[in-house]
Amino acid sequence: MPSLAELQNAMRAVSLGGDASALSDVIIGDGFAPEQRLNIHRNNTTILLGEALGATYAVVHKLVGDDFFDAVARLFIRAQPPRSPCLFEYGEGFADFLATLPAAADLPYLPDVARLEWVWNEAFHAPDVKPLSSHDLAAINPEAYGDLVLTPHPSLRLLESPFPIKEIWDVNQPGADPEASVSLDEGPQALAVLRPGATVDMIELSPGGIALAGRLVEGARLEDAFSTAQDVASTFDPAPTLAVLISAGAFHRHALKP
Amino acid sequence: MASFDHTAHSLSSPIPAAPFPSRAGIGLKAQHYQEVLDLAPDIGWLEVHSENYMCAGGPTLSWLTAMRERYPISLHGVGMSLGTASPLDQVHLKRLVDLERRIEPGGVSEHLSWSIADGVYLNDLIALPYTEESLDVFATHVLEMQDALKRRVLIENPSSYLRYAHSVIPEPEFLLEVTRISGCAVLLDVNNVFVSAMNHGFDPVQYLDQIPADQIGEIHLGGHSQTIIDGRTIRVDDHGSRVCDEVWALYERVIERCGAKPTLIEWDSNIPELSVLLDEAAKADRILERAHNKHPENPTEVSHAVIG
Repeated sequence: MPSLAELQNAMRAVSLGGDASALSDVIIGDGFAPEQRLNIHRNNTTILLGEALGATYAVVHKLVGDDFFDAVARLFIRAQPPRSPCLFEYGEGFADFLATLPAAADLPYLPDVARLEWVWNEAFHAPDVKPLSSHDLAAINPEAYGDLVLTPHPSLRLLESPFPIKEIWDVNQPGADPEASVSLDEGPQALAVLRPGATVDMIELSPGGIALAGRLVEGARLEDAFSTAQDVASTFDPAPTLAVLISAGAFHRHALKP
Repeated sequence: MASFDHTAHSLSSPIPAAPFPSRAGIGLKAQHYQEVLDLAPDIGWLEVHSENYMCAGGPTLSWLTAMRERYPISLHGVGMSLGTASPLDQVHLKRLVDLERRIEPGGVSEHLSWSIADGVYLNDLIALPYTEESLDVFATHVLEMQDALKRRVLIENPSSYLRYAHSVIPEPEFLLEVTRISGCAVLLDVNNVFVSAMNHGFDPVQYLDQIPADQIGEIHLGGHSQTIIDGRTIRVDDHGSRVCDEVWALYERVIERCGAKPTLIEWDSNIPELSVLLDEAAKADRILERAHNKHPENPTEVSHAVIG
């Protein structure tokens, strides 16, 4: 007779696709093979975790269809099963996993679409804090702007892709025009994804804009972030990007660090 | 609420179970959030899966807070895995305590089952082998959960698809022993009893009749499906359809014997229009109403219908 821990570890292995024969003396068949009874639990795990993954990755699911998604989800669940019962947090490694699959190579944008869905999901569940407004910065002497350090809003995520992932995301939302299509030539794309209030927003940034935002998120002074952005785009003007990000609620606090 | 033997449990400040009314409630699904707020249907209470609301912030938590301002809420957990041999996930327990403090629910419940092994969450409520070892593990974990929450919790009987060769304690006895050791209440899922009874060939009436009325803090009703494997039917508790006639009959028998109890209509897959859930809830309410008329000494707890 196995201990409870031994039994549970053996059943975990079976539910994640392992061989059930080791448990055939422990499970009463009662008209079925013990493996058939264990298979009910394997199906529960596979199907229910697949549904949780499909809820987070609805656009990936729509792009590849039910059969392909179910097959990929099964592989992913067995390779990286959840470590937490909060399934809105499950699936962080899915984009990287998709990138390793030869079967998905025909859709080169798929991993980046998955990355967008993951950061959308993170932004959706992030802490609710009041974003910084332009009024908060009104008292700062313009000559000190270079010393400004901006703490990102906890929902802010930055994402870059060689593909137009926002457009792909948009046309695959419920209620989108089914005739709408996206040309992959519309890429590359840099995005700020954030949820300062009730809804998740996606803001498209220029190459200089994402470089600036990336340094600011790291805690760089505005002057240093600007310098990095100019290395990327020599004619980059930070004012419009900053104005867009601040009015979108991308930051939480500010400080001056001379 | 009926009197209860607190001698065996260790809560520092026990809060009585079932401050939600002895009426029908529904499982709240995201598809119905807006409609529930707009229509404000006359239902006794709402139940949610705790794990869906353990986020740091965001709209789901805002929806639940808005619901809590209008209805009593029951937090029904699917992830504590009280039956796992290894220690409880302390991070998860802390998140439940935080949610409980935030929502101040009418009840907190979990399952007589396990879902986690070797740190992996299988998203499946798997029945335990009913042994002395399991009883010790399970009751200890219930006590730990109650101590963390500082309240009595409700434990739901599982639906099961397999039995273990070394299981020696009948499930209702095991469940009642857990209530005796830990002081928890029973969340009696009538559909689960029926599903297990059909899958294993026991008499559901005999099972249900063993659960004393004063131990039952809540009842669950849901639909199940039937799958044919090798010419034999297995019933699967998928909460994807209306409550079947046999389960309604068993429920009426329980209410006849025990008086009115808070009763949930569960629906977790193939989720229908809100009106279908309300229709099922109204059906349960009619049965509960007859019990109220028949057991006037067992008054309803409608005074708690709006708490906080």
